[in-house]
Amino acid sequence: MKYFCFFAALAVMHAQGQMPRLADGKPDLGGDGVWLPRQVPDLTLKTDVPFQAWAKLKFQENNAMKQNQLDLRCLPPGVPRIMLMPRPFEIVQTPTRILFMYEGGAHVWRQIWMDGRAHPKDPNPNWLGHSIGRWDGDTLVVDSVGFNDMTWLDDAGHPHTQQLHVIEKYTRTDPQTMKYDVVIDDPGAYTKSWTSTSSLSFRQGEKLAEDICLDKVSKTQ
Amino acid sequence: MKAPLRRFTARHAWFAKLAGFAWLALACGYAQQQSTPPNPPIAPTLAKDPGPFLPPTPAQQGRGPRPVAGPTPHLPDGRPDFGGNGAWFPGFNGNLAETTWKGVKSADTHVDVPFLPWTLKTFNERVENLAKDDPEARCLPVGVPRFMFDPYAFQMIQTRNQVVFVFDGDNYLWRIVTVDPAGTHPKNLKPTWLGDSVGHYEGDTLVVDVTGFNGLAWLDQAGHATSDKLHLTERYTRTDSLTLKYEVTIEDPGAYSKPWTATNTVRWRPGLELMENICQEDEKSSIHMIGNVAPEKQ
Repeated sequence: MKYFCFFAALAVMHAQGQMPRLADGKPDLGGDGVWLPRQVPDLTLKTDVPFQAWAKLKFQENNAMKQNQLDLRCLPPGVPRIMLMPRPFEIVQTPTRILFMYEGGAHVWRQIWMDGRAHPKDPNPNWLGHSIGRWDGDTLVVDSVGFNDMTWLDDAGHPHTQQLHVIEKYTRTDPQTMKYDVVIDDPGAYTKSWTSTSSLSFRQGEKLAEDICLDKVSKTQ
Repeated sequence: MKAPLRRFTARHAWFAKLAGFAWLALACGYAQQQSTPPNPPIAPTLAKDPGPFLPPTPAQQGRGPRPVAGPTPHLPDGRPDFGGNGAWFPGFNGNLAETTWKGVKSADTHVDVPFLPWTLKTFNERVENLAKDDPEARCLPVGVPRFMFDPYAFQMIQTRNQVVFVFDGDNYLWRIVTVDPAGTHPKNLKPTWLGDSVGHYEGDTLVVDVTGFNGLAWLDQAGHATSDKLHLTERYTRTDSLTLKYEVTIEDPGAYSKPWTATNTVRWRPGLELMENICQEDEKSSIHMIGNVAPEKQ
């Protein structure tokens, strides 16, 4: 019986460590639950940021504000900031698209095209960009362009231009954990590309709530 | 040989005449509208259709040759497939109880709405004041069932135990329906715009039970009100590859004396993709929502 318990415990630990997979063998990034990003107020804590002069000034100005003014108007936080805020989101995978539904921000969703298409030549600048994805082994690599220049990269206020090109890497290392690596490539604001990293945790059995930012705005006005 | 220049033919003249008449009719309608006194008294009974709302031209609707409908598609496990390469587009259906509203096709059937006195009064006020307090004009969620009557494209993504609705309007929203035949709503729901949705499949129909509303959403653009006692039973049936029949039973003892059912037909647009649409981005409409007041009083 003692041995049985030992092996049962081992089997459970093994099962917990296994990354879930879909029928086609691709990693399953979803499941009955939601992802909660770790809060990362400053993307650059461990990085030497290769600012261009104007971007450094803009960062200092933003940082002094303490509060993103667009948040007060309930506009979407942009990428990667929406992945650095401690608000849950859900992932749904289809053969041609991966969808993220966010509880926080502005109750928006995001689509990552998995059908092999390229970015449009002249994308209409928007809040969440145009995202295409591919699998690199068990890592989902999401390439996004076509952002407007109004969002910040993080709560600290790192600015960017419309030339922003974000590469995100999502690796589900075990059922509860997703590693999140991000490359910021913006020749309009930084002298070279730079990287940062964070993680997300899976909340089994939890569901997204409806939280309409504008409800609070109309109450405070 | 060079192609001959296109000449002004009798056909063109006919079009020109038509355009002229259309302009004249519009101008007259406009003049008449201008000459009506401001703030007409609230109609004692159900407000009438407030008048011309120009239907979009075929070009504006992006209509090419009409695609040919096939049979209802199904998923490998036999469930009806509400997806595919394309999106659903309800079009403008301003009033879910009338077949015509503002001069264009609206809901599929007329319903004698069992108003309570306050909802009849509210409805008439909203029609008379040109829907100036419409939450949608302030980028608030359109709500259920209005999403099935408003001109915003949407897609339905079916997973094992969910149907995820994604909308391009009015604020790039999503809605998740939990699919569970034995499912029940959680107790003490926090009141919301979209409510709590639990669904199941009945043959080729997705049936969704929705409750937990905040009572702020309008059922349609015309202004049918709701209360926080609203309870909806929605039925989605893809009758062929291009057609979604939508039926919703509205049970709201706080607003209507008995349950009533509205219906609409939603068309499939092959190849249509959803675009990010953030109503809040440059919102300049709500300040112009002043209702039916005379220009000098603005």
